[in-house]
Amino acid sequence: MPIPEDAMVSQLSAILSPDQVLSGPSVQRAYDCDAYTVDRSKPTAVVMPDSTEQVAAVVRWCVANEVPFTGRGAGTGLSGGALPALGGVVISTKRLTQILEIDLENRCLKAQAGIANKRISDSVKTEGLHFAPDPSSQTVSTLGGNIAENAGGPHTLKYGVTAQHILGVTLVDPTGEILELGGKVSGGPGFDFVSLVVGSEGTLGIVTEAWVKLTPLPTAVKTALAAFSTVRDATESVAVIIASGTIPAALEVMDKGILHALEAAFGLKYPVGTAALLLVECDSNDADSAHEIVEREMETVEAICRANRAMEISVAADEAERQRLWTARKKGVGAMGRIAPSIVTHDGVIPRSKLPDMLDFVYDVAARHGGGVANLFHAGDGNLHPCFYFDDRDPVQVKAVVEAGEEIIRRCLELGGSITGEHGIGVEKIDLMPLMFSEDDLRLQAMAKSIFNSGELCNPCKVLPNQKSCVEHKKRWRGVAW
Amino acid sequence: MKDLTDLTTQCIRCGFCLESCPTFVVTGKETESPRGRIYLSRSAEEGKIAWEEARPHLNACLGCRACETACPSGVHYGEILELARDRLEKRHGSFAKKALLAGMTKPGRLRMQLGLAKLLPGKRIPGVLSRLLSGQAPEADRPVAPSAYSFPPLDEAPLPPIKGEVYVLEGCVMRVLYGRVNEITKRLLRQVGFAVRVVDQGCCGALHAHNGYLDAARSMGQGLSAQFSDDLPIVVNSAGCGSTMKEYENLGVALRGRVFDAAEFLAANGLGEVLSTRGKLEATVTYHDACHLSHGQGIRREPRELLAAIPGVTMVELNEAEMCCGSAGIYNLTQPKMARTLLERKWGNVEQTGASIVATGNPGCHAWISQAAREHGQTVEVLHTLEVLERALSGSS
Ligand SMILES: Cc1cc2nc3c(=O)[nH]c(=O)nc-3n(C[C@H](O)[C@H](O)[C@H](O)COP(=O)(O)OP(=O)(O)OC[C@H]3O[C@@H](n4cnc5c(N)ncnc54)[C@H](O)[C@@H]3O)c2cc1C
Ligand code: SF4
Ligand code: SF4
Repeated sequence: MPIPEDAMVSQLSAILSPDQVLSGPSVQRAYDCDAYTVDRSKPTAVVMPDSTEQVAAVVRWCVANEVPFTGRGAGTGLSGGALPALGGVVISTKRLTQILEIDLENRCLKAQAGIANKRISDSVKTEGLHFAPDPSSQTVSTLGGNIAENAGGPHTLKYGVTAQHILGVTLVDPTGEILELGGKVSGGPGFDFVSLVVGSEGTLGIVTEAWVKLTPLPTAVKTALAAFSTVRDATESVAVIIASGTIPAALEVMDKGILHALEAAFGLKYPVGTAALLLVECDSNDADSAHEIVEREMETVEAICRANRAMEISVAADEAERQRLWTARKKGVGAMGRIAPSIVTHDGVIPRSKLPDMLDFVYDVAARHGGGVANLFHAGDGNLHPCFYFDDRDPVQVKAVVEAGEEIIRRCLELGGSITGEHGIGVEKIDLMPLMFSEDDLRLQAMAKSIFNSGELCNPCKVLPNQKSCVEHKKRWRGVAW
Repeated sequence: MKDLTDLTTQCIRCGFCLESCPTFVVTGKETESPRGRIYLSRSAEEGKIAWEEARPHLNACLGCRACETACPSGVHYGEILELARDRLEKRHGSFAKKALLAGMTKPGRLRMQLGLAKLLPGKRIPGVLSRLLSGQAPEADRPVAPSAYSFPPLDEAPLPPIKGEVYVLEGCVMRVLYGRVNEITKRLLRQVGFAVRVVDQGCCGALHAHNGYLDAARSMGQGLSAQFSDDLPIVVNSAGCGSTMKEYENLGVALRGRVFDAAEFLAANGLGEVLSTRGKLEATVTYHDACHLSHGQGIRREPRELLAAIPGVTMVELNEAEMCCGSAGIYNLTQPKMARTLLERKWGNVEQTGASIVATGNPGCHAWISQAAREHGQTVEVLHTLEVLERALSGSS
């Protein structure tokens, strides 16, 4: 017998305080999805704990009452990870937003999980340091969400994904026990459970705090925007740049599907006839010759772009202009609302050399499904983000977009890639897991999950397919859209 | 008028607005975020939840429109909020709110209340009224009645010849509480060669529009535009009024292209040069962006440049300068707790600058931040931007 809403609210209010427990139709509506809006499912209540102990107390209550629970940061996830698939309690980290300790000498920092990524970097900027993972959503997405999704970003190409920057985590495991995994010093003895938790999409418990690595800011940086008249020229340039041995800090492609919106939103300028823009950044903090290195790398990049028929290459004149370019790139997806009411941003990976063919395929899929598509993606990593736009009030369009995404992901796999680069499986791609993993693989992953989980209450119906009670419930939330 | 569904579907739920929304930053709640409020408005409009469910969350919105500045998709949040509040007021209006607005937007009545207020004990607004409006204890002091002002006559010698005429919006609150700012506006306009044509004028309807009384706002707007009958520019020294008047076309009133914020108009007409040649003020000044100037009208540069042009002035940037102070029209009366939290945050940032003056371009912010100044021992002086400029030119205090 599921516990009724009033009882849930009053019991949780007794554990926390009443103003930390939210419920009712508005709350249930507001928390029924993240930035992936195709699937929706309501929680019964939302809690806003302000300490690790409170999180643990809530989890223990959920376990005792067999209530499912799902962690949530900023809700910018793009695969429905924070969707409470079986209802129950959403545990928000947005009252856990403090920086707890800064250790400049050892270049690390401890923060609570609900802090927005960028606030970490801002806090140590004057010391010449930053938290390197820079998902485009970094002004809002949380440390906990980044850890859960092992978030990447434009600078992942050179600096690596979130996993490479997390030293330790405080985890409330699915039984409500508080675990300290890893710590300030990396590479201790024993199994590396931190790496297991990073990227586990909130299925192994709730991260409440983490020690993160701080990386020196580059002392020299150059950013250029190259305009191409075909997408193929742009993506071929990317493949050649990487093959040349030059690893820029970032290599991002934006295609014509988004350029108009970027111009309207950020005043981004590009020549007439542009089909794709390539944003390239080279940086270095070499003690002696940072500027020379950057200069040299940029020359190589420019030569390659020119050889691949770049129509125009402009280098940002100063930091302000550089920031403007990055704002346009990072907030680019956010400008899609200028084009259509809804978007789904797909996420797949392919070997870089296959980018040109893959993009042709994406346009073809969009044309066949009658939808519009814009691409702005981490080309240097071969990480594709076809962003389909549609009207979610029309069920036919919703279905078409989901099908288009699946076709694209299948093609990524055929080309030797992966079904996700950084947005995670969530609920969105759960049915595609068997395409990538054998039954044995999946069983092994389920066993790893069972190290932390005895039951099925912690973020159920995510990542691993065929979980108990999810199959039947899926009908309720799949494609509910509007 | 636009359709609420169309306006709300422009939001693609990316979340970029979250960290710029004061109520989200303070509470961490999705329901108190722009994305949440837009989603709830759309849900109510389309019958997925009852409008009454959305009401507390829409009431808790400051209307500061920081979310519009942050939103890459260009969501017209201000319009969404006004339409949603209009729906709410039409279903079940708040009598207390209506009475309060009527009092504030009729200068005669506001003046009378001020007079009466002086006779009543205590300095807070009466608890009965506060509880009617918000169900909470009051935070806002009764407005402090203005001190008398007089300015030395303008020194005619360096003044340029008059090159044109403008209207100055006198405003309801401005006229009664900050009459001196209206006087200063005229003096500064004269410094750059403009004379003010005086007409009888009513209320612009901004407070009504922001609180969901669109019909009332429309008829006030129509009245006002009839009073400003020809095509002279209209200079406005109250950010909230200016922002509404610049968007009159949403209400079907035509004034577009004629309305200018005072700092905007004065900067464009060379007051910066006047200040740098004839101004003088030894002070460290910081600037608080009134929401309806920065987010509402996109004006951030002009007031700062005018202040910085004064010889002797050192400008220091205010941390979170663009975050609402909590005044937000009548918000400090309807949502006293949140307004207080934001005021303390603002004052903390102001004191941290070490400035001797904090300047701002809106009477609501002016009065509300002044209250913090009084409570914290007047460590920093709170002035309208134009008052600082006038002081630099005439040495008036
Ligand atoms: C415009 C836009 C651009 C984006 N760009 C990128 C990009 O460049 N790179 C990239 O990798 N992603 C990107 N994303 C996706 C998204 O921002 C990331 O996945 C981000 O890490 C999610 O963080 P969040 O705080 O919003 O988490 P949420 O969406 O709230 O949650 C995501 C998942 O993490 C879990 N979770 C959250 N907090 C915790 C916690 N404390 N403990 C355990 N589990 C938790 C949730 O249960 C859920 O499964 C983008 C999204 C948008 C909308
Ligand atoms: S207007 Fe201000 S308070 Fe209201 S949602 Fe936007 S940012 Fe938040
Ligand atoms: S930034 Fe704009 S599009 Fe994104 S969630 Fe906020 S209002 Fe919606």
